[in-house]
Amino acid sequence: MIEAKDVSLKYQEGTLALQNVNLEIKPGELVFITGPSGSGKTSLLKLIMGMEYPTSGSLKVFGQPMTKRRGRRIRRLRKKVGPVFQEFQLIEGRTAIENVMIGMRFLGKTPRKMKEDAKNALTRVGLIHKAKSMVENLSWGEAQRVAIARAVARKPALILADEPTGNLDHDNALNILALLTSFRDQNTAVIITTHATHLIENYENATFIHVDKGNITVERREQTK
Amino acid sequence: MKTFFYNLGYFLSEAVKTIRYNLLSNFFSVVGTGLILFLLGMVAIGWAVGDQLITMLSEEAEISAYFDENTDTDKAMKLVNQVKTMEGVWDARLIGEEEAQARMEETLGEEAQILELFEENPFEAFIEIRIHLESMDAVLENVVNLNGIDYVRDNRAVLDQLKGITEGLKLLGYLIIAAVGITTLIIIAHMIRQGIYNNKDQINTLRLLGAPSSFIGFPFVLVGLLLTLFGGILAVALLIPLINQGYIQLGGSMPFIPLPPKEELINNTGILILTVSILLGFLGSLFGLSSIRKVSN
Repeated sequence: MIEAKDVSLKYQEGTLALQNVNLEIKPGELVFITGPSGSGKTSLLKLIMGMEYPTSGSLKVFGQPMTKRRGRRIRRLRKKVGPVFQEFQLIEGRTAIENVMIGMRFLGKTPRKMKEDAKNALTRVGLIHKAKSMVENLSWGEAQRVAIARAVARKPALILADEPTGNLDHDNALNILALLTSFRDQNTAVIITTHATHLIENYENATFIHVDKGNITVERREQTK
Repeated sequence: MKTFFYNLGYFLSEAVKTIRYNLLSNFFSVVGTGLILFLLGMVAIGWAVGDQLITMLSEEAEISAYFDENTDTDKAMKLVNQVKTMEGVWDARLIGEEEAQARMEETLGEEAQILELFEENPFEAFIEIRIHLESMDAVLENVVNLNGIDYVRDNRAVLDQLKGITEGLKLLGYLIIAAVGITTLIIIAHMIRQGIYNNKDQINTLRLLGAPSSFIGFPFVLVGLLLTLFGGILAVALLIPLINQGYIQLGGSMPFIPLPPKEELINNTGILILTVSILLGFLGSLFGLSSIRKVSN
């Protein structure tokens, strides 16, 4: 699903965010990307989302080469991705359910189906009772759950969550990780970036990518019986 | 296409939200656009009345061809038939001396007594030739060269002057239309740009979710259409009482000015203004939408 060969990313101002990254992520995988702030975790997510393009090497997402020349096609690939942004990027002045539906409006679903899927997603994240609340009136944790509902309602092949535990206390952070990883199945891969490694140390059957100063190390942890 | 229909309600509600977000500015652009379209409506009315006047005068464009005194009626009728076959002539008639005198008496009214001073009828018979205005030069040349025609009199100077005035008015109208079009496009494009700027976070989110540009841009096209349509409706609402009042005033004081039927004028002007407003709104939105590319990702 994602295949990187010797991928480097250098920003225009000269910062080398990633260098010679080699990795492969298969459908249905659970991947944690860890590393300190500014290590290159978000840069890796940006490459996968087509928000940045490799300055060297080759990156394919869903079999599609990620190059600037193919920008328009890459934007179409985003329909297969369910992103949970660090700042959520919910649309203010709209209700929770409207925000969830907005992610599905250009996927060819009927209004009835969109509403049904949005309600199911909000139920799944435990926020159906807030469906008609304006998002600016929700707490941080609730807004994050709406963002997760928006991502999963699209039934994506890949869920990308950027620092979902960043502003949460220990228990809530564990709950959010549990919620996000629960959406993993044989068709849906989940990639989560976090700098809080202590929260994920008990996860098994997952891939751990550690990023430090643009270099990565990959560890696959199998399930123990 | 089905995505478009599934989301019609969403597009409309987004457009209304965008308008409400900057309500005062949008209100002023509707008023501004309305007044500009009102000006366009005035030009259209002027053209309609001018066209009616020109059509009437064109139909009355005529030249008088005189033949020498020795020409008898048969010869004169032959000349009439020859003239009738000329291109640009739609009617030719022989006016006898008596009819010429009667016409003059009618024209002079009470002053016709002056004609009694003449011992004999001072008027000559002539051929009255009704022509298409645009063919006047060619017809004149052909009639003058006709064997048996002594001289020709025409009302060309008056018609040329009228033609000049109406052509000047048309040119002025075109300039006003160009100014109306450009100003409306600028206003609408500016409002769309402002709407895009105000919604840049939302646009960015939609892009990251994979929304196509057409999906992101359509509510802004709707905003442009709605703003100019409201402006068009305002312009029509201002024009209707003006037309009604104009017909009352002109009909009373200047009944000789040929006016097109009032209902027809109102309907045609209304349809024109609303069509132009929709077109300008659509084009202005497309210009404004070019700035959507500047929103990242």
